[in-house]
Amino acid sequence: VKASVAQSTIWVVIAGMAVVNFAVRFIPIAVVSRVELPRPIARWLSYVPIAVMGALVASSVFTPDGRLANPLTSASLYAVAITALVYRLSRSFLGATIAGMGSFVLLTHFVPFFAH
Amino acid sequence: MSSPTGNFRSVHDAHDPAAARALHGSAWARFSRGVGLGFPIFLGYLPVGMAFGIIAATLGFTPFAAALCSATALAGAGQLIALQFLGNGSAAFGVLLATTVVNLRYVLFASTMSTYLRGVSLPTQAGLSFSLTDETFAVNIADHRAGLATPASMAGVGAIAWAGWVIGTLVGAIGTHWIGDPSRFGVQFAMPAMFTALFVALAEEWRHVACGLLAAALVAAVGVLGWAGVHIDPSWALLLSAIGAATIAAAVRREG
Repeated sequence: VKASVAQSTIWVVIAGMAVVNFAVRFIPIAVVSRVELPRPIARWLSYVPIAVMGALVASSVFTPDGRLANPLTSASLYAVAITALVYRLSRSFLGATIAGMGSFVLLTHFVPFFAH
Repeated sequence: MSSPTGNFRSVHDAHDPAAARALHGSAWARFSRGVGLGFPIFLGYLPVGMAFGIIAATLGFTPFAAALCSATALAGAGQLIALQFLGNGSAAFGVLLATTVVNLRYVLFASTMSTYLRGVSLPTQAGLSFSLTDETFAVNIADHRAGLATPASMAGVGAIAWAGWVIGTLVGAIGTHWIGDPSRFGVQFAMPAMFTALFVALAEEWRHVACGLLAAALVAAVGVLGWAGVHIDPSWALLLSAIGAATIAAAVRREG
């Protein structure tokens, strides 16, 4: 059981997070949309989204708790494959997300191989 | 600007009725279309927002404070890491540093998004940047690539995502006791599932697929380093892998 945090700390954190999270989003949008981007940087930026998605998915498969785990024995790998397939066939974010969550639950609860 | 969509390029011809509605309908019609596009995000955010609300409540957040935090920060992973640091007894400064590092990827997202937001007024940019998350970014980028996105549709995507995150948080914080362990609904896989679908949505060109797979391989490689005793913080590993893969992909392709 985690200890309760002081209310003053909670309010400082809420205010600070609001400022910080707005700043990291707004400043680049405001600045970069007003200057002409050199081509190499524009090209680099076009690769950023897919790279971030790949890294996000991979960290849930390879390093689920911040440390390397065998991906072949992780339910995440198979749930990722099912999610990708369902999205590919249905082009539905909702359908793919539900299929992914459902298959993850089924694999971790009913396949002893994947139970931690 | 002569057209209502400003400098948004359309790849569709004027005879495509769906594209015509998306680009030239009323502001409300374009906003509603965005709400529809963002609805899966709403459903995905509900359970994860609930997880945040539950953990926040156990740390001493009132339901109002938890919902206010979600409503003003709108930072999924950044908020969860903040709770982890708070739970470990970290001071406010450490908590804010952690959330900043985790959300540094928004700098990349925002820079990418800004190339689609030239000529849009500063207050509109402020509103749209506030609702920028991994999911709204991917949905809006895919919509931009299809030539259909407008500031109004992006506002719709952002609004419905924001609602899901705040409502989820509130439900979680209020219902801590009767919800129980949210993991039995597969909540911990909601975000990875969404990222996977978004990956497939963005993977239209082989260069992009290769870049995404390279980023994934780099994450695995950093994991191997951790196994060998060189521990790198997961959020840094993610950020560095993504930057590294995008840099290599851009360097390999010199032309165009």
